[in-house]
Amino acid sequence: MITMFLVLSIVFMLMRLLPVDTYFGGRSDSMSDTVKDNILKQLGLFDPWYVQLGNFWKNLLFHGDLGESIVIQQGVKCVDLIIPKAKWSFQFGAIAMVFQMLIGYSMGVLMARWKGKFFDSLGNLYILLINALPAAVYFLFIQLYLSKVLHLPMFFEPYNTASRILPIICLSLGGIASNAMWMRRYMVDQMNLDYIRLARAKGMTSSQVAFRHVMRNAFIPMAQSLPTTLLFTISGSLYVESLFSIPGMGGLLITSIQRQDNTMVQAMVLLYSAISVVGLLLGDIMMMVCDPRISLVKKGGSR
Amino acid sequence: MSEMKQDVILSVKDLVVKFNLRGQVLTAIRGISMDLHKGESLAIVGESGSGKSVFCKTFMGLLDNNGWVDSGSIEYAGQDLATFKKEKEWLHIRGKKIAMVFQDPMTSLNPLKPVGKQIQEAFTLHNKVSAAEAKKRTLELLADVGIPEPERRYKQYPHEFSGGMRQRVVIAIAMACVPEILICDEPTTALDVTIQAQILELLKALQRKYGLTIIYITHDLGVVANVADRIAVMYAGDIVEIGSCDEVFYDPKHPYTWALLSSLPQLGVKGEDLYSIQGTPPNLFHEIHGDAFAPRNPRALKVDFVARPPYFEVSPTHKARTWLLDPRSPSVEPPEHIKNIRNIRKLKKEDAVNEQITR
Repeated sequence: MITMFLVLSIVFMLMRLLPVDTYFGGRSDSMSDTVKDNILKQLGLFDPWYVQLGNFWKNLLFHGDLGESIVIQQGVKCVDLIIPKAKWSFQFGAIAMVFQMLIGYSMGVLMARWKGKFFDSLGNLYILLINALPAAVYFLFIQLYLSKVLHLPMFFEPYNTASRILPIICLSLGGIASNAMWMRRYMVDQMNLDYIRLARAKGMTSSQVAFRHVMRNAFIPMAQSLPTTLLFTISGSLYVESLFSIPGMGGLLITSIQRQDNTMVQAMVLLYSAISVVGLLLGDIMMMVCDPRISLVKKGGSR
Repeated sequence: MSEMKQDVILSVKDLVVKFNLRGQVLTAIRGISMDLHKGESLAIVGESGSGKSVFCKTFMGLLDNNGWVDSGSIEYAGQDLATFKKEKEWLHIRGKKIAMVFQDPMTSLNPLKPVGKQIQEAFTLHNKVSAAEAKKRTLELLADVGIPEPERRYKQYPHEFSGGMRQRVVIAIAMACVPEILICDEPTTALDVTIQAQILELLKALQRKYGLTIIYITHDLGVVANVADRIAVMYAGDIVEIGSCDEVFYDPKHPYTWALLSSLPQLGVKGEDLYSIQGTPPNLFHEIHGDAFAPRNPRALKVDFVARPPYFEVSPTHKARTWLLDPRSPSVEPPEHIKNIRNIRKLKKEDAVNEQITR
């Protein structure tokens, strides 16, 4: 909470240092100084900084109001502007994440299970390709050629489910590669530990060891980042969304900053910092659930 | 002799184990032959890298992936374990017939599973029983290895156990299916001295209760003296001397055993430097000619560098691989320390006799 308060206040104060021209929605040339002063006064910009900051927090906390957009869609509440876009991004991101986890983790498990064999090499080749090639290359490839081969629409249409397939594939590829890589890596780490030798000495098969002992233990280091990753899917992907013309969050923050839509910037910074903080908290809780050695409650010595 | 034969539970013949390390082939076990008798405790002693762990791992097929049994046989219950290639063949041996206790209890348990489950798992792998029955057996096991409040401990995680308690859990896992042979790979090395004694007592008690055959792998001669019926001294992948505890301690024949015993701090004389063995163990990447210990042995004979000595029998239970026991070899006196031990033994015997007389 304190983090969020600080982040937001600092951004708010910094934005007060910007030139005031932006508040006139690009029509500053045609306005007289009195009109300009009036607008600024209405926005409360002549008040001392602490009053401004106080008002900002008061509106936010008691009315859930983040102000209106100034440039992008003049007069529309920031929240109303963000939520529909975030919904699209989240929908795509969450579905892609499910694929990333399902395919990525199972790929990692299989690679670790047959380490050094054919499947492992194949997986490594995939990971290497995805990481080495600029995303733009294979995104374009998918959009141009895969759409032809599979007879899928090249652009997103809200009422056509088939048009969602390609963007989701694009969004998943990178995540699959990194999930597989980390899963494999942690599984290989775990397999060299003593308790695996003991499990084998009990008379377990390698597969039993891999599924009953190694998998869960390998997953834990990754569990912490899951909530953050899930929540941040609402920020969308700039490239995929513009490529397939999805009305998502992709470039919203950058556009807002470029066009100096101060209230929008504030709103989005609030959103993203909230996501980070909540995501980290959820990550910690997740670790606690998965790993009995971790406890959020203060306790004496662990032994 | 025929009676002895019946007692043999596991018989190793000319076992050779090799490893592939960075393209080079290393011979870790150089033709060991040995019998394990039912119900005995055999201690395998030797310095680090002498191959004692590797030797015992071959009994369970737990060699690392780059190692293999090159030749020789391991006979157990009418099967030759050395011919086992697939994991499936090992499954009815591992944990069920031959079990192992590992060195470091801090790392040999899965930190994320309740200990009860980990013990139960070992049991249910080899026995088809209901969950309730398996749990009952697990609680018995926990009580058996001296863990108080088994019901409560069953649900706890390894990090809630002390080192000694964890080793008890590891032993419970090994005992889950009441194996015939228990291999203890330095079971007390990671524990402090008071706990060491407790764990050794526990192992002895379990051995009496279930008629176990135990192999202790150790370099702690204190442990050996405490628990072993027989001692096998290993050097550079070979057993150089094997005999009963008394024979090896008080009447050692191989120069390496002499050197090993001479370097015991307990035998040192105050004010004198403690004996240490000169040189380093041989490089196992190369083929070894003659007696592997010869280059470090100040009393080495010429023949030691040329031909590998066979086993010479000192008594029916005691044999050693050294040319010194050949009738043709010149008589070589063992070092002072060793003679001292012999004297100690004589004194002890006289004491025992005196005791009997006074009674």
